Amino acid sequence: MTRRPVYRDRIELLQGTLDLLILRTLQWGPRHGHGIGLAIRANSDDVLQVDHGSLYPALHRLQRQGWIDSEWKTTENKQRAKYYRLTAAGRKGLAVEQSRWERLVAAMARAMRPA
Amino acid sequence: MWDPIQRAWARRGRGRVRTARDEEIEEEIRFHLAEEARLRVERGLAPEEAEAAAHRDFGNVLRVREVTRAMWGRHTLENLAQDLRFAFRQLHRSPGFALVTVGTLALAIGATTALFTVVDGVLLRPLPFPDPDRLVMVFERSPRGNATNSVSPGNYLDWRDRAKSFEHLALLQQLPTNVLGPEGAEQVFGLRVSAEFFDALGVGPFLGRTPRHADGDPNAPPSVVLGHALWQARFGGQAGVVGRQVSINGTPSEVLGVMPPGFSFPGIRAELFLVLRPQRDSSRGGRSFVTVARLREEVPLAQAQAEMSAIAARLAAEDPAYNAKWGATVVRLQDHATGSVRPALLVLLGAVLCVLLIACANIACLLAMRAGERAREMTVRVALGAPRWRLVHQLAVESLALAGVGGALGLLLAYAGVPAILSLFPASFPLPRAEEVAVDVRVLAVTAGLSIGVGLVLGMLPAWQAGRGRMADLLRAGGRALTGGARARSTLVVVEVTLAVVLVIGAGLLARSLAHLHAVDPGFRPERVLAAQMLLVPSRYQDEVRRAAVVEQILEGLRAVPGVSAAGSIHFLPLSGIHSGTGAHRLDRPVPSPGEDPGAGVSVITPGYLSAMGIPLIAGRDLDARDRLGAARVALVNQTLVRDFYPGEDPLGKRLFVEWSDDEEDCRYEIVGVVGDVRHDGLHAAPERTVFLSNAQAPSFIASLVVRTTGHPALAAAALREEVRRVDPEQGLLSVRPMEGVVADSIARPRLQAVLLGGFAALALVMACLGLYGALAYSVEQRRREVGVRVAIGATPRRILGLVLGEGLRLTGAGLAIGLLLALALTRYLSALLFGVTPTDPAVYLGVGTLLLAVAAAASYAPARRAMGVDPVVALRDD
Repeated sequence: MTRRPVYRDRIELLQGTLDLLILRTLQWGPRHGHGIGLAIRANSDDVLQVDHGSLYPALHRLQRQGWIDSEWKTTENKQRAKYYRLTAAGRKGLAVEQSRWERLVAAMARAMRPA
Repeated sequence: MWDPIQRAWARRGRGRVRTARDEEIEEEIRFHLAEEARLRVERGLAPEEAEAAAHRDFGNVLRVREVTRAMWGRHTLENLAQDLRFAFRQLHRSPGFALVTVGTLALAIGATTALFTVVDGVLLRPLPFPDPDRLVMVFERSPRGNATNSVSPGNYLDWRDRAKSFEHLALLQQLPTNVLGPEGAEQVFGLRVSAEFFDALGVGPFLGRTPRHADGDPNAPPSVVLGHALWQARFGGQAGVVGRQVSINGTPSEVLGVMPPGFSFPGIRAELFLVLRPQRDSSRGGRSFVTVARLREEVPLAQAQAEMSAIAARLAAEDPAYNAKWGATVVRLQDHATGSVRPALLVLLGAVLCVLLIACANIACLLAMRAGERAREMTVRVALGAPRWRLVHQLAVESLALAGVGGALGLLLAYAGVPAILSLFPASFPLPRAEEVAVDVRVLAVTAGLSIGVGLVLGMLPAWQAGRGRMADLLRAGGRALTGGARARSTLVVVEVTLAVVLVIGAGLLARSLAHLHAVDPGFRPERVLAAQMLLVPSRYQDEVRRAAVVEQILEGLRAVPGVSAAGSIHFLPLSGIHSGTGAHRLDRPVPSPGEDPGAGVSVITPGYLSAMGIPLIAGRDLDARDRLGAARVALVNQTLVRDFYPGEDPLGKRLFVEWSDDEEDCRYEIVGVVGDVRHDGLHAAPERTVFLSNAQAPSFIASLVVRTTGHPALAAAALREEVRRVDPEQGLLSVRPMEGVVADSIARPRLQAVLLGGFAALALVMACLGLYGALAYSVEQRRREVGVRVAIGATPRRILGLVLGEGLRLTGAGLAIGLLLALALTRYLSALLFGVTPTDPAVYLGVGTLLLAVAAAASYAPARRAMGVDPVVALRDD
C-alpha cells in the first residue's frame, strides 16, 4: 500500500498504443513477454506503466494477426520462456501504425494549444 | 494433442476442457510472475513479498488468462456444443413451438416415407426377376373387346409353336390343389404351369431342379415343384423330399425341386407349382389360363404384338367356330401386375405430397414467426459486435436440433407405418409384391432432406433480417416493427388451407363411395352364412355321377347338423373374384354367326344353394332332385338375362343354348325358374346375365359349399370340416370362412383407399388449423398495442373478437375458394376410384366447405379470446 503513490504521475496506456509499443520494442530483436514489459517501462523512463497482465492479450492478438511470431526458448537462467519476434507483416504494420500515431500526436498537440 | 471429439466429450458438465493453448498461456504467465519475483528478490525483497508484488503488478491472473485465450476465438466444436445447449434451452423455453414443429416434422416425414415406400415397392421397383423389362403376358382379345381375356390351352400351343418373338412362352392357371400327407388331406393354392414357366421368369430352384421341356410332354409322369413356405410347413424343410412321390390331387407326383423363399408370380398366390402337360386335341379347351413370356433380346413389345395379332388372325381363319373375331394382346408384366392398384396408389401419393407441402408451409410459418420474435435479440447481438456468421451458425444449429428430433421420430413412424399400411390389405386381396416392401433409405433421405432443408433455410431468416436495415431503427422498434413477413405468413396459411381442402374433398368423395358400396344390395344375404371352397380330387372323381353324388352326400350330412338351416353349393362363390362365362343364345332364334354370340355368365349350383344364400326365386321353380343326369336339362336364369334375352316375354319353358359341353346335344337347356340378380363380380359391378345349371347335370370339379346357420356361422366350421372328412378322408378343403368376410374383402380396396386418404386428409386439416392458429396468435401478439389503442378509444370486446375471427375466416375463405376450384379440376383423376358419386358431388363440396369454416372458426377463437383480454393500460405501457 505504501508504494501506491509512487505511480501517481505515471500515465495509463491508451487503447491501441500498447500494440505500437510492443511492436517497437520487438524491432531490436526477440524478447519474452516479461522482457517486453520491462523494456517499455525502461524506454519511457518509467513514465509509461504497463499493467503486465494486459500485455498478454495484446501479444496473442498480434500473433493471431500475423504481425509477430513466437517460439519457446531457454533463457540465460536456464528457464523455458516464450520469445516473440516481429514478422515481415509486423514490420510493415509498425511503419503504418507509427505514422498514424505521429499524425495523432501532432493533431492532439495542435488541438491542446490552439494558436 | 487431444483430438477434437475427445475434447468436446470431456467438456460435458464442467467448464472448458484444457487445450494445449491453455497450457501454453499458463506457462507463459507462470514464467512472467517468476521472472518478476526474481528481479524483486535481486533488488532485496523477501521471496514471499516479491511474489505478492509480482502478482499485484500483474493484475487478475485468471482474467488475463481468459482474455488472452479469447484472442484466439473459440474452437468450432466448442461453438457447436455451446450452440446446441443454447438451442435446447431456447426450445425448452418455448415448448409449444418446439412440440408443434417437431410433431409436424415427424408426422410429415413418417407418413410420407411410409406411403412412398409402399408405392415405391409396389409400383416403381422392377419385378424381382432378371431383365424384368422383357417379361410380358399374352392374352386373348375377345370379340366383345376384352383385351385381357384368358387364354385357351389349344391356342396357347399354337402360339408357342408359331411365335418367334419369345424366348419362352408359358401357360399358367391357378387351381386349388389337394395335398395328401400323413396328417390328412389339405388344399392349398396351387399354380399349374407349363414347363417353360421358370425359364421364362429366369429363376432357378432352391433345391433340386425346375422342369425341363420333357416334363411337359403329355406322356411324362406328373411332377411338381414346391414353394419354399409349403416345403417348410408340410415337408419339414427336408432336402430328402426332392425326388420323392407325393399325392397331389390324388395322383402320385414326383417332387422335382423347391423354389427359393419369396418366389411368387405377381398377383397370384401359389404355394406349389404343378407341371402342366398340355395335350393337343380337337377341342381347344376352355379359355381359363393366362400366359407369361420372355421377349427375345432386342425384340420390342410392338413387334411381338404385331406378330401375335397376325398369328391370332390366322388361327381365326383356321378354326372360325372357336376363334372367329378373337385376337391377342401383349402386355408388359410389370404394367399388368400393378395396373389395378396404380390409380389408387398415385392418388395416395399425391395426397401424401400435399401433406408434406402443408407440413413444410407450417414449419416455414412457425420459423418465420419465431424469426420475427427473435429479431430484437439478433439485432442487439449484432449491435454488441457478435459476428454475423456466429448468429447464422447458432440459428442453423437450432433448426438442425429441431429437424434432428423431428426426423428421428419420423423415422420411427415410418418403420411402424409400413407394416400398418400393408396390414390394411386383406390376405385374400394381395397387394402385388407386398412382401418385398421395406423402408427405403433413399426415400427417407429425400423426405427428411426436404423438411430439414426448408427448416434450415427458414431458420436462418432472423440472422439475415438482423443484417438488413438500420440497426438503430430495428432496436427502437424492438423487433415489433418486423411484421413485414405478415403477407408471406398469410400466403402460407392460404396455401395450407387450399391443400387441406383438396385432400378433404378427395377423402369425402371416397368416403361417400364407400358408403354407397356398403348400401349396395349384393342380391344375397351374407349374414350367418359359412362358405368353404374345394377342388374335388380329380383322380377320385373322374366319374360324373360320383362327382355330383359326393357333393350331395356332403350337403345331406350338413343339413342334418344342428344349427344348420340350409346348405348348397356353387362352383365359384359370388364376390370371390372369379366367374365363369360362355356362349349362350336363344334356341328359338336363328343361331348367331361366329363371334356374334351374346354369351352369359354360368354358375353351377345344387338344390338348396338359393335358400342357403337367401337369393329370391322370382318365378318358376328351384332346382331339385328330379334334375339329374339323364333327365331333361334345365336351367335357372337371373332377371338381367330375362331383360336382355326375353324383354316382354315369359322366359319359363323357353329353351337356351349354353355352351357348357363339347357335345352340342348337351348344351340345350329349358328355363324352369327366374332368380334375383346377384352382384357376382363385385358390389360396384352391375349384375351380369347369368344361367344357373344343375351340378347333377353338369358336375363341376370346383365346389364352394354354402351353409346357412341359426347361430354364429364360425361355430359350424368344425362340423363342416368333419362332414367332408367323414364322406371322403382324402378330400381337403381350401378355406372355410364366413360369407360376410368374403363380402368385406371384396370392398377391401375402396375401404383401404378411403381410410388412407381420410387419414391423410385429417392430418392435413389438423396441420392447416395449427398453421392458422399460429398465424393468428402471432398476429394478435404483434398487434397488442393496436388492440390496446382500439380498446382505449372504445372498441367493444365484440368488435375485437370480430377483428381476429374476421382475419381467420378471411384467410380460410381464400384457401377454401382456391381449394374448391382446384378440387373441381383435380378430382376427375379420382373418378376411377369412385362409386355412385360424381367427382363434383355437391354434397361433399358443401360439407367440406362447412367443415373447413367451422374448424377455422374454432382455430381462430383462442387467439381472438386473447385479443379480447388485452388490457389497454398494460399494452400501452409496454412501449
